[in-house]
Amino acid sequence: MNNPEFKRNLWLSFSLHRLIAVPLLLALIFLASAMSELQGNVADSLYSAATTLFIFIVWLWGTRNANAAIVDELRDRTWDQQRMSALGPWTMTWGKLFGSTSFNWYAGLMCLLVIATSGLMARKPDVIATLLTLCFIGVLLHAALIAVNLHTSQFDSKNIRQGGMGWLAIIPVFILIPAFSNSREMHVSWWGIQADHALFWLASAALFAACATFAAWRVMSNALQVRTMPWAWPALACILTYYSAGFIDGDALLLTGLLVSGGMTYAALFSEPNTRLKWQKLRLLQQNRNWRGWLENLPLWPTTLALVFIFALLIQLSSSRELPMSPLSPGLAIPFALMILRDACILLFFSFSPNSRRAASATVAYLMVLDLLLPFVAGVAGLDALRYFFFPFDAGHGSTLIMILHSTTAIALVNWRLKKTQ
Amino acid sequence: MIKIDGLTFDYPGHRALNEVTFAVDSGSVTALVGPNGAGKTTLMRCIAGLETPLVGSITVNGMDVIEQPRQAHRFMGYLSDFFGLYQDLTVAQCLEYAAATQGLPADEIPAAIELTASRLNLGGLLNQSAGSLSRGQRQRAAIGQAIIHRPKVLLLDEPASGLDPEARADLASLFRQLQADGMTLLVSSHILAELDEYSTHMLALSDGRILENRELKPSRLAETVRYLHLELASADDRLHEWLNQNPQVILRSATPEHAEFDFNGDVSAQARLIRELVEAGFLVCSLASHKENLQQSYLRSIATHRENLP
Repeated sequence: MNNPEFKRNLWLSFSLHRLIAVPLLLALIFLASAMSELQGNVADSLYSAATTLFIFIVWLWGTRNANAAIVDELRDRTWDQQRMSALGPWTMTWGKLFGSTSFNWYAGLMCLLVIATSGLMARKPDVIATLLTLCFIGVLLHAALIAVNLHTSQFDSKNIRQGGMGWLAIIPVFILIPAFSNSREMHVSWWGIQADHALFWLASAALFAACATFAAWRVMSNALQVRTMPWAWPALACILTYYSAGFIDGDALLLTGLLVSGGMTYAALFSEPNTRLKWQKLRLLQQNRNWRGWLENLPLWPTTLALVFIFALLIQLSSSRELPMSPLSPGLAIPFALMILRDACILLFFSFSPNSRRAASATVAYLMVLDLLLPFVAGVAGLDALRYFFFPFDAGHGSTLIMILHSTTAIALVNWRLKKTQ
Repeated sequence: MIKIDGLTFDYPGHRALNEVTFAVDSGSVTALVGPNGAGKTTLMRCIAGLETPLVGSITVNGMDVIEQPRQAHRFMGYLSDFFGLYQDLTVAQCLEYAAATQGLPADEIPAAIELTASRLNLGGLLNQSAGSLSRGQRQRAAIGQAIIHRPKVLLLDEPASGLDPEARADLASLFRQLQADGMTLLVSSHILAELDEYSTHMLALSDGRILENRELKPSRLAETVRYLHLELASADDRLHEWLNQNPQVILRSATPEHAEFDFNGDVSAQARLIRELVEAGFLVCSLASHKENLQQSYLRSIATHRENLP
């Protein structure tokens, strides 16, 4: 066994008792399921029971164990030892990804055997595709949670020690379960291709499982102090853009890119440490013209913010017609990008204050006041000019100028705060 | 072995290390001392490559820790003040895991476990789970994990915390043994008396700045100025004046029966002084070199630092 992390997880997960007890327990459940079937559709019953069990054992329980792969290290204070080890990021990633969930895969494998056998007996369509999709979604959930926990632990290790982000997994699980009950006769239209539903799900699950595993490896690299250049996050935004735009046959590729990049900018902005020290370090690297170090230390959100501006400019240049399926006209793309820049600066303004513990919540509160409350009050009071000033998206051509004013004010505030706290 | 230059580390609203510069000799045992919040743990974590400073450089065994932390880890072992063990693994499994993760070849791991276990007196505990060990046994197992790959530099943050006197004595003996094997140790502790037993150097830190970095126990023969205590069997009023006339003596205090002074000379000069005292008719019953212990050194550093504050 060349991977000590995988081996350590096997030591912890397996005992002779567990090795024997699980097959017996699963056999009993399947027997009970078969015996309770009164209409003679034993294969159907076994297929449903095994699928449900797999979802429970691998998707839910496995995700809980993947969550513990990081949480336990931080809680038990063994993380420093792992960070100082000679194990590479990939070895550590797959050791945790498949080691912490090894027992779930052991039990899940038995469920897969029953799904395959009963599915073929019941002449279910696309049995192999379903099996693989179930497995890929399992990997996707486990890897995504390892990535999220590792990413969050950079600035909120207390929260991770107290349980991590495992609860997040429940959301995709309940979104994904209905996909397995949809009619298999359906086809999916994607970039004009009529793809078989099961095969499309399989390809999607494989793609996102690969993305999640890659993300876990990248975040692990940072945690183990292997320096990386910041291209993966915008690359993921591009993949998501291309994937999502396919469902509307590419009619709104640029708009999708704008929205996906914008969403990912906010996600990164509110989940990364944005301390004054971090930016002070970047400034020092810039002064020393250490551009490689500057890029290696750059947070994620500026990379997708740059992408937002690229998409906004492309929208502005390439189209004068209304964007399909969206109330956003091409002329609002630049103001939208400027709004994200302004919001980022507001967060930095609060993050750079001496008491920066509640920077994220203060930012959210001020954004709600700025974008919702003040425009609403101004609108009700009939002060349209004031309403346009706070929320300029229906102010026609003036919206860009107003948002430039917003963002330059926000940048000036950040600079003022930086100088004041130095 | 360790070179630190201009190291500055900030926490939000607080500068933990302020342009710290020092060097640690190869094969030394350096006691890192200072009050709570002095920056000892931050300094250790920076050297271990677990924290990245704002500015400054750290070199361990010629390797730049900030630029190449993973390569530098190969030469280092680190025991943090709040270390962890895998509770459900046996001690043997903990050691095997540590050896394997540090890149020891598989065929060398059993021998490394055996050697480490015998060094740390863990032989009888190898099959016990880490969760069932006492505080002292856990400490030994954690040190075992840190040294199993035979690092050149061992960083220990409060290693004796919570240990009973016997376990502390064992630990001191182990550190002397590791030093004899050529390892360089940097040990932080609040228990200065314990550090005194094995430290060769003292690095005093306060408010993120170095107060003093010096050798504690120079070779006795090479020592030029030593602090001596003289005891007479019966009082002699001439003692104060006689000692004052000796150019090698800088008197600190004297009574007719007892004197304390700095003596500028080697052991041969000290032997001559005894002969001259006896020939002058003093009833000498003891002349002993009194070494300043670590606590006294540390307190003196702190006092000097406070005197120099504006």
